[in-house]
Amino acid sequence: MTGDHPLALPILLAWLFATPQVVADGHYPVLPGEAGAGRSLWLENCEGCHGYGIGGAPIPMQAEDWAPRLAKGMPVLYRHALEGFIGPDYSEMPARGGNPKLSDAEVKAAVDYMTGLARFHITKTRKEK
Amino acid sequence: MKKRKSIVIAATASLALAGASTIAAAGDGGDATVSVKAMADALHLVMDSDRTVYTKKIVNRLVKKEKVIKASEHFEDDKALVLPAQMFRFGAELVAKRSEKLPDVNFTYSLQSLWPINKQNAPQTPAEKAGLKYVVENKGKNYYTTETLGGQKYFTAVYADTGVAPVCVACHNAHPDTPKKDFKLGDVMGGVVIRIPVES
Repeated sequence: MTGDHPLALPILLAWLFATPQVVADGHYPVLPGEAGAGRSLWLENCEGCHGYGIGGAPIPMQAEDWAPRLAKGMPVLYRHALEGFIGPDYSEMPARGGNPKLSDAEVKAAVDYMTGLARFHITKTRKEK
Repeated sequence: MKKRKSIVIAATASLALAGASTIAAAGDGGDATVSVKAMADALHLVMDSDRTVYTKKIVNRLVKKEKVIKASEHFEDDKALVLPAQMFRFGAELVAKRSEKLPDVNFTYSLQSLWPINKQNAPQTPAEKAGLKYVVENKGKNYYTTETLGGQKYFTAVYADTGVAPVCVACHNAHPDTPKKDFKLGDVMGGVVIRIPVES
C-alpha cells in the first residue's frame, strides 16, 4: 500500500495542489481554490456551448479565445454573463447562460471556473512553447 | 493547402461518382478526386456557415442589438424575419427543387429531430435514426454510414444541430406540438442529414 510509505501523504498533497485533477466525466480539471467551486454549475449551464465553441462561444481550452477576454477584467465578464452580451461579430452571450433560475452568485461562480480554466490552459500553452 | 484544394474541388466538381468513396472533378480537375466524406463535410461547412452568418449579422444585429425588427415563425403575418432554422429549411427545399433539373447534382439535405415539432421532420430510415441518436449521445462528433434505399446506395452523414439561442429553446419547449419540453441551451436538439448517392 502506498499509504504506508512515510512520504505518501506529502507526495499526494503536492500532486493535488500542483496538478489539477482530470476526472472521469470529461477533460475539465478540478481547479483549486474558489475557481473550482463553480465547476458543476459550469458543466450544467455553460459547457454545452463553451465546451465546443457552439454559436461562437469562446472555448476556455483555447488560449487565443480567452486571453483578450481576460484582459477586460472580471467585472466586465461578470456583467456580460449576468446581463447578456452581443459581441462585435454579433455573437450572442445570453443572460445567465440562458438559465434565469441561476442566482448572481451562481453565475459568478461559473464565470470564475471558466476563467480559471482559461488561465490554466493559457499557462499550459506557454509552458509547451 | 491540401484541405483547401479538396474543398475547391468539392465546390466545382460534378457529382458523378468515380467510385464508392470518391468523387471525380470535372473540367481542369483531371483525375483529382475527393472523398465522399470530405464532400459531405464541405457541404455542411457551407450550410452551417451561411446559417451562422444569417443568425449573427441579420437576426442578432437587427433583432437583439438594434431592435428594429422581430424574427418570427409566422414571419409573413408578423412582417418579421424568418427564423434561422426556417431559412435553413427553405434552402434545403430550394436545393431539392433546383437539383431536379440538374442530374449531375444529386444530393439532399434536411434538418431532422428525434423530437420534431412537425412530424415530417422525424427520421425515416434506420440510418437517420441511428445518426440522430449518435450525435445526441456523442456531442462534438459526426455520424457517417451508408444505406441502400430503393436499390440505390447512399453515403449518409449526420451533424448535430444545437440550440444556441434562448428563444429557440424556449419556443421548442413551449410549442403545443413538441414531444420534449426540457431542452436546455447547448443541447443537441436535432441534426442535419446529408445524403449523397454512391456506386454499390
